[in-house]
Amino acid sequence: MPKMSGAKILIETLKSERVKHIFGIPGGATIPIYDVLYDEKEIRHILTRHEQAAAHAADGYARVSGKPGVCMATSGPGATNLVTGILNAYMDSSPVIAITGQVPKPFLGTDAFQEADMMSIMLPITKHNFMIRSVSEIPKKVKLAFKIAMTGRRGPVHIDFPKDMQVAETEVEIPRKVKYQKKVKVRPRAEEVRRAVELLVQANRPLILAGGGVISANAATEVVKLAEILQAPVVTTLLGKGAIPENHPLALGMLGMHGRMAANLAVTECDVLFGVGLRFDDRATGDVRHFAPRAKIIHVDIDPVELGKNVRVDVPIVADAKIALRAVIKGIQSLAKRGKGGQWLERVKKMRKDFAPRMDYDDVPIKPQRVMKELMRTLSEEAIITTEVGQCEMWAAHYYEVKKPRHFIVSGGLGTMGFGFPAAIGAKVARPGCDVVDVAGDGSFLMNSQELATAVDNDIPVVVCILDNRYLGMVKQWQDLFFDKRRSAVDLGETPDFAKLAEAYGAWGETVTRPSEIAPKLEEALRCGKPAVLDIVIDPEEHVLPMVPAGGRIDRMLT
Amino acid sequence: MPTHIFSVLCENEPGMMMRICRSFMRRQVNIDSITVGIEPSGLARIILMFNSDERTAEFLRQVLLRLTQVIDVEKLEEKTSIVREIALLKTKQLSEEERGRVLEEIEKVGGRVLQVAGKALIAEIYGDHERIEKLIHTLGSGVLKEVARSGQVIISKTME
Repeated sequence: MPKMSGAKILIETLKSERVKHIFGIPGGATIPIYDVLYDEKEIRHILTRHEQAAAHAADGYARVSGKPGVCMATSGPGATNLVTGILNAYMDSSPVIAITGQVPKPFLGTDAFQEADMMSIMLPITKHNFMIRSVSEIPKKVKLAFKIAMTGRRGPVHIDFPKDMQVAETEVEIPRKVKYQKKVKVRPRAEEVRRAVELLVQANRPLILAGGGVISANAATEVVKLAEILQAPVVTTLLGKGAIPENHPLALGMLGMHGRMAANLAVTECDVLFGVGLRFDDRATGDVRHFAPRAKIIHVDIDPVELGKNVRVDVPIVADAKIALRAVIKGIQSLAKRGKGGQWLERVKKMRKDFAPRMDYDDVPIKPQRVMKELMRTLSEEAIITTEVGQCEMWAAHYYEVKKPRHFIVSGGLGTMGFGFPAAIGAKVARPGCDVVDVAGDGSFLMNSQELATAVDNDIPVVVCILDNRYLGMVKQWQDLFFDKRRSAVDLGETPDFAKLAEAYGAWGETVTRPSEIAPKLEEALRCGKPAVLDIVIDPEEHVLPMVPAGGRIDRMLT
Repeated sequence: MPTHIFSVLCENEPGMMMRICRSFMRRQVNIDSITVGIEPSGLARIILMFNSDERTAEFLRQVLLRLTQVIDVEKLEEKTSIVREIALLKTKQLSEEERGRVLEEIEKVGGRVLQVAGKALIAEIYGDHERIEKLIHTLGSGVLKEVARSGQVIISKTME
């Protein structure tokens, strides 16, 4: 057995977990690790310009690839800069491995230079966190981190790595696998499946509500299959977009605060709701007392904590989404039953038609709805959309029809402004063959616009499409609707010129003011061979509508 | 709100108590009693008492079970468990008369005197929670200078 430093052992262990990319920024407490990376051929390190972006990039990478994304930061401020990104990954159950340098063990707890108590800070925002306390335990702890991140409900795991442990040497073997004791129930019980099947085949108005768990379990095929057998409409949550191709006749789009009216009404009218891989978040359910009021609810989730947390559930099933869906499909098929279709299907078709969103605006300034139409027209179904947070995100969620899982990447639970652009960078690194477009707002993009340097320097050609209204638009919308139009601290003024900002970084940049220019300029941005910023000046007065006021019933939308 | 008792079996590692306690803090639930012991297996057993509605209690049980290092969370009932607590009482300097009364009260609940210094004394009592509460209440702050309590140690009566 060769003698290796802790830093070398870390990198070799990451390689044994088939890590190909690390997003990060070095610092005093991680120099030994970066010294090993200097000679490393199998791992590409992507130097971001802020650690928050490294965490979001790893998150985007994970969501697109289905494999853990890795980010790295130095101790103290580097590590605390990861925090928002790690919580974002935690809220959306994304498997991210965060490695931070730490002051040498003898200095722990002494307020040493660049010391932060990261074990305490990361504890509530990760699935689990470790500190490396001896060199020999590195392979086991690092491999365990990957195992934990990917077992059951996905989530981020943090490893705090004191500098003296990076330097110290030992002889150690890197095991192929480590044992993870935690028991996770992934299979539904036969009785649970029987009850679900019984409810579904007897239902007159069944509905499938698919969440992010469907995407992370790679169960989109099964959702479509179940929908077709039952002739049941499919509604998705924000993170569930892509669980069914949204041009499918049974797809009703996203539900909730900024969901589609058809989706919200169908949920309100259905008599059996099959919810799979979701947590019934308040933005999705609205007033829970009036959520699916006529329905028996079947809830499948891999995390037992979620069952019955937010809504009453008639049939709770702790299971992996894919395994549960397969079992239910098999159960229905064995009864040689199919859905009744009939009136309910007619109703679904009619709602789909009556509430079809309108996007064909020719106005100047450009309506954001028109931007969505142009994006859908220009981009192939292989294109990956990420979004920033706020109005831009909700316009994309409401209008943009996603055809495939892992092709729509947003910050759901945490609503992190500044997420979309670094997530796009991570997505592009994971899937270099796909076009990647960040649907951005001007406010949100500015929170991580420094990553233009990362994208240019590392040759990661993503396109940022800014829906530029020079406002913190979603806050402005709430002030307009619920605070008597008193627009407090939401005006972002005239600066910067986003096209010039892009050019200053060596990226492609153009400004668009007319609807007819969007598609050709987007084509140009996609084909220019470098990172691009397309600044689309939109109508600053436009709201995201329809909308359910916070805590309101989802069948009563402001239009 | 009913009292709940959890017996949490978990790995014995630094930060374990923090992981468990913050799960309660985040859900605005106050822990009334907490004790820790190490099992012969090397695992830690943490016994918690708290008041909450049934739904919150079950939710917290699931939240604890979700922690990577938690192996099991057993819900104990006071009726089907043996509950013990020990308290050490240090008195102020007492008058002769007071001292007699204190000794009598301690004796009545099966406590014993461990140390005497001048007119002050240190005594121990053990038993169920109520017995200890009652004695401390009876003696009161006029007599007691300091009280150290173990918290409630609980084991289920069920045997293999």
